Amino acid sequence: MAFSLKKKYDDLEQEISGLPVGSYNQLVFKKFLKHKLACLGAVILITLIIFTFVGPLFVETAYDDMDFSAIFASPLSENHFLGTDEIGHDVFVRIMYGGRISLLVGIISSVVSTIIGLIIGLISGFLGGIWDKLLMRFVDIMLSIPLFPVLLILSLVFGSGVFSIIMVLTVFGWMRVTRLVRGMTLSLRESEYVMASKTMGQNRIMIILKHILPNVIPIVIVTTTLNLSYAILSESSLSYLGLGIQPPMPSWGNMLQGSMSYILGTSTGHNPWWLTFFPGFFIFITVLNVNFLGDGLRDALDPKFVSES
Amino acid sequence: MKSYFLKRTLELIPIFFVISFIIFMLLNAMPGDPLLQMRMDNPRAFAQDPERLAELREYYRLDDPLIVKYFDWLKNILIGDLGFSSQYKIPVSELIFSRLPNTLLLTVTAWIIGIVLALPIGIYAAVKKYSVFDYSTTVFAFVGISLPSFWFALMAIILFGVILQWLPISGIETYGITGFWNVFLDRFRHLIMPAIVLGFIQVAFWVRYIRAALLEVLDQDYIRTAYAKGAKERRVIMRHALRNAMIPIITIIALDIPYFFGGALIVETVFAWPGMGRLMYNAVLASDYNLAINCLMFLAIITLLSNLLADVLYVVVDPRIKLDERKRG
Repeated sequence: MAFSLKKKYDDLEQEISGLPVGSYNQLVFKKFLKHKLACLGAVILITLIIFTFVGPLFVETAYDDMDFSAIFASPLSENHFLGTDEIGHDVFVRIMYGGRISLLVGIISSVVSTIIGLIIGLISGFLGGIWDKLLMRFVDIMLSIPLFPVLLILSLVFGSGVFSIIMVLTVFGWMRVTRLVRGMTLSLRESEYVMASKTMGQNRIMIILKHILPNVIPIVIVTTTLNLSYAILSESSLSYLGLGIQPPMPSWGNMLQGSMSYILGTSTGHNPWWLTFFPGFFIFITVLNVNFLGDGLRDALDPKFVSES
Repeated sequence: MKSYFLKRTLELIPIFFVISFIIFMLLNAMPGDPLLQMRMDNPRAFAQDPERLAELREYYRLDDPLIVKYFDWLKNILIGDLGFSSQYKIPVSELIFSRLPNTLLLTVTAWIIGIVLALPIGIYAAVKKYSVFDYSTTVFAFVGISLPSFWFALMAIILFGVILQWLPISGIETYGITGFWNVFLDRFRHLIMPAIVLGFIQVAFWVRYIRAALLEVLDQDYIRTAYAKGAKERRVIMRHALRNAMIPIITIIALDIPYFFGGALIVETVFAWPGMGRLMYNAVLASDYNLAINCLMFLAIITLLSNLLADVLYVVVDPRIKLDERKRG
C-alpha cells in the first residue's frame, strides 16, 4: 500500500515537473515502442528466428531430401510451397535450414567481433598514451584495407566452412566498434565521477567495469546490429561466390549460387525465377529489419535524442 | 597548402609498409606453394627427376626467411615487377593493366550515376523535411543499404535480360560487331545494367548523408539572415546553403571511391564483366596467389590514395580550415 502511494506521488511529481515518467530502462522501452519501423523489425526478426530455428522441427523433409517426381516444380505447387530446384530439393525447407546457418554465422560473428572491439577500445581509451596511439594507428591501417577483397583471400587461407567463415568475419569486423568505444572512453576518463573514484583508490579494472562500461553499452548495442547486417550480407556474398558455406549444406547465399546455372532457362524451357528470388528476398528482409531495429535502438538508447514524432 | 599535401603524402609511407606486410603475410599463409602449379602442369618431369624440385626451391628461394622474402617482394613491386600469374602464364602487371580500363569504365559510370541521382534527391529531401517525399527517401535508403548487390543484379538480369530481353546479360561486347557507332552502342548496352546496379547501392548511402549535411547548414544563422533579407528560397538554397553543405559531401564522395572497387568485384562477377574484380575472383578460385595478392595490393593503394584525396579536397573546399591548427584525431 505504502509502496503504491509512493509511486503515485513520484508519478505526480514528475508529471508536474514535465519530465517523462519511469526508470531509464522503462523510458528506453517506451521510446522504442514509439518507433514503428523498429517494432516491426523486432517482430519480423523474432518470427524469422523462430521460423528458421524451430520450423525445421515440424517438417518431415530434410534439406537434402530429393523429390524426383517434382523437379523444377513452381511455387504453390502440391507439397512444395516455394517450389523445388534441379534435383527436387524443396526450396521452402532449404530456406529454413539455410536461414539457420546465415543467422547463426551473422549473430556469432557480429557479437564476437563487437566484444573484441569493445575490449580493445576500452583498453586503448583508458590507458591512453603510446598504447592508444599504436592501437589507433593499427585500426586506421586495418580500416584502409579494402574489406571485401580481403574477405575473399582470407576465406582461402582459413578454408571454407561455418567455423572459418565466422573467423574471417570476426577478424575484420571489430575496428569500428573499437574506434567508437575508445572515443567515448577517452572523454569519460576525464569525467568527474571517474576522477572521484580514482581518488577514492578504486582500482582501474573496477573503474572500467563499474563506471565506463555501462556508459558505452548503448552505443555498443547499436553497432552490434550494424555489424550483424554487415555480417549477414558478407556471408551471403561469400557463399554466393562459392567461398563461404559449401553445398550440400544450404545457406541463403549458396542457394543463389546454385540457381545461377538455370538463370537463362535454356535447360528447362522457362526461367525458374523462384530459385533466385526467394533466398535473396530472405537475405534482404532480414538485413532490412536488422537495420530498422538498429535505427530504433539508436533513437531509444540515446538520451540526448529527442523523439521526432 | 603544398607543405600540407607533402606531409600527408609522407604519412602514407609507413602505412604503406604495414599494409604491404599484412598482405604479404596473407600471401604466405595461403595453403599450397608456388611450385604446386608447376608440378601439376608437368607431373612426369618431376617424377623422373626428384632433384629438380629441390633445385627449383633453391632457385626461387622458397626457403629464405620470411623477412628476407618480404623485402625481395617489396623491392620487385617498387620496380614494377609483379611476377607471373600461374593461371594465365603472363606477367601480372600486363593482366592488371589490360583489365583496369574496363573496371574504370564501370566504376566511373556508376559513380556518376550515383552522384546524379543522389544530389537532387538528397537536396529535395532536406528542403522538404518531414514531407512524404522525405519519408520515402528514408525507406528507400533503408532498402538500398539492405539490398544484397548480387541478388539485385541477378533479379535485374532475370527481368531485363531473360524475360524482357532488352539488355545483354553478360560480358562487355557482342562478338563480330563493327563500325564505330555500333561498337559504341553495343558497349553502352552492356554497361547499363552493371553500372546502375553498382551506382544504385551507393545512392542510398549518399542521399541520407547529403540530406543530413544540408539540414545542418539550413539551421545556421546566416541562412536565416539570407531569408530575412528577402532572398528567394531557391537562391538561399543554391547560393548559401548548398555551397557550404558541399564540403562534407565532396569529402564523402571521394572517400567512397574504394567502395566502388569493392562493389565492382561482385557486380563484375555476376555480369561477367572482364575487369579487375573478376580477375581477382578468378585468381582466388584458381589459387593463383600471386595474381590475387597483387590485385589486393592494388586495391589497397587505391584506398590509400582516395583517403588522401578526400583529406586534401576537404582542405581545398573549406577555407575555414587553417592547416596548422587542424588537429588530426
